[in-house]
Amino acid sequence: MPAEIFNPNPVVFSTVKRKLDVSAQSLWIDDVLLSEQESDDPEPIDQNEIFDLIRAIYDPEHPNTLEELRVVSAPQILIGKNRVKVEFTPTVPHCGMSTLIGAAPSSILTASIILTFLGLCIRVRLLRSLPERFKVDIFVKPGSHQSEHAVNKQLNDKERVAAALENPVLLETVEKCLSDAGNGII
Amino acid sequence: MESAIRLVQTWVASEREQEIDEIVTGISNNHWTLLDVVKALGEYLTSEDASLLQKVRVLVTFLCGKLEDSETLKPSLTGLLRLASLSSFSPAEATSTIEALFQHVRMKSVVQSIRFIVFSILDTLMASHRQALQSMGKSFIQGYVSLAEGEKDPRNLMVAFAIARVILIDFDISNHAEAMFDIIFCYFPITFRPPPNDPYGISTDDLRLKLRACLSATPSFGPFAIPVFLEKLAAGSRATKTDTLQTMGVCIPVYGSAIARAYSRKLWNSLKLEIFQPVDVQMEEEALKTTKILVQTIYSEEEAAMESDDDIQGLARDACEECMQILKEPEKSQARPATKILCTFMTTTPSICRFTISQAVPHLVRLFHSPDELTTRPSILLLLSEFIVAARDAQAQEGSEADISLLPHKDNVMAVFIIGLKSTNSRGAALIGLKALVLIKGLLSDEELGFIVHNLNEVVQEEPSEFDETSEDIIDLLNTISRISARHVAEQTLPTLFSTLPDVAPKLEQDSLRIQVRRTLSMLQELCVQAELFEILVIRLTTKLDLLCFPSDQVSQLDGDNEPTAAYAHSMLKVLSECLSTKSKNKDTDLVKYIERLVPLIFNLFIASAFMEKERPMAANNPRLLTVGGEIINLVVRSRQASYASILSKALSTGDVSAISHGPQKFASNLHIFSTSSSAAERNILRLFSSAIIGFYKDVPLELGPLNDFVMKLLAWTLDKADTDIQTLSALELVSSLVNKRTDEELSSLLEDESSTPLRDEIQNTSNLKERRSLAIKAWAKISKALLVRKHPLAMSYAQRLFDLSGDEQIGWDAARSIGDLVVSDPVLSKANHADIKILYSQKYVNEILPKLIESANESTSATQRTSSLVALASLIRSISRAAYMHNIKLLVPLLLRGLDLEDPSVKVDVIETLLAVAEGDSPERSLVAEHSTTLVKAMLRNSNVQSTPSLKVRIAALRYLAVLPSIVRYNVLHPERATVLRELAVVLDDPKRAVRKAAVEARTNW
Repeated sequence: MPAEIFNPNPVVFSTVKRKLDVSAQSLWIDDVLLSEQESDDPEPIDQNEIFDLIRAIYDPEHPNTLEELRVVSAPQILIGKNRVKVEFTPTVPHCGMSTLIGAAPSSILTASIILTFLGLCIRVRLLRSLPERFKVDIFVKPGSHQSEHAVNKQLNDKERVAAALENPVLLETVEKCLSDAGNGII
Repeated sequence: MESAIRLVQTWVASEREQEIDEIVTGISNNHWTLLDVVKALGEYLTSEDASLLQKVRVLVTFLCGKLEDSETLKPSLTGLLRLASLSSFSPAEATSTIEALFQHVRMKSVVQSIRFIVFSILDTLMASHRQALQSMGKSFIQGYVSLAEGEKDPRNLMVAFAIARVILIDFDISNHAEAMFDIIFCYFPITFRPPPNDPYGISTDDLRLKLRACLSATPSFGPFAIPVFLEKLAAGSRATKTDTLQTMGVCIPVYGSAIARAYSRKLWNSLKLEIFQPVDVQMEEEALKTTKILVQTIYSEEEAAMESDDDIQGLARDACEECMQILKEPEKSQARPATKILCTFMTTTPSICRFTISQAVPHLVRLFHSPDELTTRPSILLLLSEFIVAARDAQAQEGSEADISLLPHKDNVMAVFIIGLKSTNSRGAALIGLKALVLIKGLLSDEELGFIVHNLNEVVQEEPSEFDETSEDIIDLLNTISRISARHVAEQTLPTLFSTLPDVAPKLEQDSLRIQVRRTLSMLQELCVQAELFEILVIRLTTKLDLLCFPSDQVSQLDGDNEPTAAYAHSMLKVLSECLSTKSKNKDTDLVKYIERLVPLIFNLFIASAFMEKERPMAANNPRLLTVGGEIINLVVRSRQASYASILSKALSTGDVSAISHGPQKFASNLHIFSTSSSAAERNILRLFSSAIIGFYKDVPLELGPLNDFVMKLLAWTLDKADTDIQTLSALELVSSLVNKRTDEELSSLLEDESSTPLRDEIQNTSNLKERRSLAIKAWAKISKALLVRKHPLAMSYAQRLFDLSGDEQIGWDAARSIGDLVVSDPVLSKANHADIKILYSQKYVNEILPKLIESANESTSATQRTSSLVALASLIRSISRAAYMHNIKLLVPLLLRGLDLEDPSVKVDVIETLLAVAEGDSPERSLVAEHSTTLVKAMLRNSNVQSTPSLKVRIAALRYLAVLPSIVRYNVLHPERATVLRELAVVLDDPKRAVRKAAVEARTNW
C-alpha cells in the first residue's frame, strides 16, 4: 500500500436500490414468495448477479465500496455462455493524462499498481464465486488510464495472478478488501 | 500468638516491666512477631484512654525507627498501616510517619508488595489526616513525587492515581504542577494489557479511568498536557487515538476556555485530520464529540455577551469557513465530513448554531439554484437535509423554548426541497429534509403542512412507476404529518388514493392495473392507522367490498370465474386486518368501537354470500377471504367482550345470526352450521365464529349449552361432517382454545380420563381410513397442547399417547411430528388471545419426552418406531431452546446424522436447522460436532447437490450449515476436507437456482 493517498477526495455516488420485481402474475397478494421459491424454472447467472458478487468489494484506498465509487457497474459486465467480461473504471477520470502530467514517474507507477490491485481483488472474488466453466476477462475501461495495456496484460495473465497470490502480504490485503464482499448479495 | 495476647492483657492490667521483657524475648526468639503484639494491642489502642495515645506514639516512633533496616522494613510498614487506621493515631504521628517514609524507604529497591503497603499507608493518611499532610506543604509534595516516580505495577498505580488526584485537587501545587505532571503524564496513554487469567482483576479501562481522573483534576496541567495530547493523537495506534480523544473530551472543559482558545488552532488541525481521514467510523464520532466539547468550552462563557453573528471570532468562524470552502464541491466525498462538523457545531451553543446555519444553509440554497450545479443537486439536497436534521436534533436537545434558528431560511429551504421532490434522483434526500422540517416544533404553519401534502400527492399521482424506491419514505412523511394534523391527509391524499381503486376487480391479464391497485392498497395500509384516517378507510373499503361481492349486474359475474374478484376483495380485507393488527400493537383505544362498526358488516358480507352460494358462485365464499375475515373479527373482539361474547355464542348455538350481522345485505333464514342439511359454504362460516371465540377472555359467559357436549359435538362434526380444511382447522382451533381457557368443571367429562374418550377410540381403530385417523391425531395433539400450555395435570398422559402411537405403521409420522409441534408457540394460544399460558410449561414436557425419544430412536426393536422417533426428535429440538437439550447433545448428534439419511425433505430441513441451532454459540475450542465433522461434511455436500437433492430448501439449508462449519470446528480438523469441499462447492456454484448459488458462494468463501 502506498503511503501517499493517490486520490484523496473521490466523488461518492449513492448506490441504487435495485427494484425487486414483484410478480404481478399472481392474483393473490400472499402468493408472491411461494411461487418464486418453489418453481422449477432455472434462473441463469446474469450480469446483475455478477455485479452483486463484486459491488461490495472495498477500494484499497477508501472506506467505500467499488459500487459507491462507480468503479464497477452492472452494464460494464458482459456475460456469454461460458465467458464473463468485467470492465472497471479508475476513480479519477483520465488520471493518467491530466493530473499526473509533470508528476514524478513513481506516482504514475503507484497509480497503475493500485489499478492492478483492484483488478486482482475482482478476479479473486470471481475465481471463488463463479463456476469453473466461466472464463473471466478483466479490463480497465478503454481510454481511462495511461498504462491500461500493461494493467490488462497483468490481470489476464494466469501465471502472474497465481504468483501474486503467493505473496502473503498481498493476499492479506486482498482479503481485507473482500472482507464484506458478501454484503453485495441481496 | 495466644501467649502474646495473654502477656499483653496482663501488662495492660499490671503495667509491670516483667511482661514487657517477656514480650521482647518472645520477639527476639521468633515466638511471635512484632505484628502479633500490635494486633494484640489493637483493642486497647482504639480505646479512648489517654494513656493509650501515648502508647501509640511510642509504637509509631519505634516502628518508624525500624524503617531504616531493610530486615524490619516490611513488618514495620505493616504495623504502621494498621496503626494509621486507628482513631488514636494523631496528626502529629501522621506527619512523623510520612517524614520517616520519605526519608527511609527507597521505593526502587523494594518489591511490589512492600511498595503497595507504602501507598496504602499514604492513602489511609490521605483519608484521615489530610490537613496534617497539607500543612507539610512543599516537602510533602516533593517527597511524594520522588516516592511515586517510576512506579510500574498496575495494582500500586490504582492506589497511586487515587492519591495523586487528591493531591492535585486539595493541595497547593502551584509551584509543583510540572513535577506532578511529569510523574502522571508518563503513564499516558495506558498500554497495559492484563495477563490471561488475571488474578487481580485490574483491566486496562480501570487504569485508564483512574488516570483520566488525575489528568482532568487540575486546570494547571493545561499548558503541559495539550501538546502531549496532540503528539499522541498524531502518532498513536487506534486504541491510543480513541483514548486520547476521550481524555481530551474530559480534560478540555477543566483546563478552561483560555487554554482551549490558545491551542484552538493546533487542536482543530489535529481533530480535523481524524474527521476527514478517519481510521473508522467510531474514531470519526469520537473526534466529532471532542470537537464539540472544544467549541463549547471556548464559547459557552461568552454566550450571553454575543449579540450578533459577527461577534463570533476565532475557531468557530475559521473552522466554519474552512468547511464552507469544501462545501463548494458538494458532490465530493470530503463534503460529508465537512457537513458533519458543521452539524456538530449546531449542537454546541445557540449563537454558534445560528451562525453556522446562516453560513451553510443559504450557501447550499444558492448552490442549488445555480445553473452550473444541476447535476450535483442530489448531493446538495443530501447535505442540506443533514443540516435540517441537525437543527431538529439541536432543538430536541435544548427543549421547546429554544428559538428557531432556521426560521429566517424556512421559505427558501422548503422551496428547494419541493423542487427536489419532483425529480427522482433527489427525492430521497428531499423527503428526509422535509421530514426534519415538519418535526421542528413551531417552524411550519398548518397551511405549509397542507402545501407539502399537496406536493406529495402530485408525486404519488404523476409517476406511479417511478416512485417505488421512495414510496416508503413518502408514506413515512405523510404519517408524520398526519400525526401533527390528520386533516390534510384525510382531505387531500385519501380521496386521491381511493379514486384509483376500481369498482370491478382487475382481470387476470391486467397485470399493470393490478400492480397499481396493490401499491395503492399498501399505501392505504401504512397510512390509515391513525384513528381519524382509519375510520374513513373502514367506511370506504366496506362499501367497496359490498359493491364488489354483490354486483347489481349479475350477468357479468356469471360469465367468468370469480377468482380475480375474490383476490381483489381479499387484498382489501387484508388491508383492514393489517391496520387493525398495527392498531392493536399500538394499543389504540378507538379499536373498541369497531365491534359495532366493522364486525357486523363482515358477518353480513360472508353470511349473505354463503346463502347465495346456492344460486351462483360467490367470491366471498373463498376460504382465504374467510380466513382474513376471521383475523379482522379476532383483532377487534380481543378488546371488549363480556356482553358481545354471550350474543355471539348464542348466535352460534341457536343459528339466529340477526344480532351479530347488520349491513346492506338482507337474508331471512337462520344459519345452522352443525345441522346435517347445511351447505359447505354455510359450514365455512364457522371460521368467523371460531376466530371470535378464540379472542375472548377466559371468564366471559358463553351460551353454547353444556361445554362438554359442545366440544364433543364439535369433534364428532370435525370427523364426520367437515369437508374442507378451513372447517376442520376452525373447529380444532376452537376446541383447543376452549380446552385451554375454560374451567375443569365445564370440561369435566372430556378431561375425566383420557383413556376412555371417543376420540381415542377413533385413533386406535385401525379399521378407520388413514385420513380419519390422522385427523383424529391432529385433534388429539391440539387438545394435548391446550392442556400442556396451561400445565394441566392430564397434559402428560395425553402427550404420552402421542408417543405410544409413533410406532404405528399408518399414522406414526403424524404422531411423531405432533410431539415436536406441542412446544411450538401457537398463534391461537397466545397472550394476545388471552390464553391461559403458564411459564416454563414446556420444560417438564421436554425433560420427560426427550430421554424417551432418544432411547427409542436407539433401542426400539421396531424400525418404524426408530424412524418416527428421529422425526419427532428433529421437530422437537428445533422448537426448544438450546439449554433444554444441551446436556443430551452427545447422544443427539449421532441421531441427527442418521436423520439426514431419511428421504423426506421436510425432515431433512428440520434436522439441518437443528444442527444450525446447535452450532449457534459453538466455538472451535469446545466444539460439539468436531468428531463428526467428516460425516457432516459428506452428508451436507450430498444434500447440496442439485442432482442428488431436488428440494431447494434442503440444498440451501445444507449450504448454510457448510458455511458455519469453519467457524465452529478447528481448522486442523477440517483441513483434510477442504479440497473436497472447495471442489464440490465449485459444482454447486452452477446450481440452476439463484438462492442456492448465493448460499454456495457464502459457504465457499468461508472455506
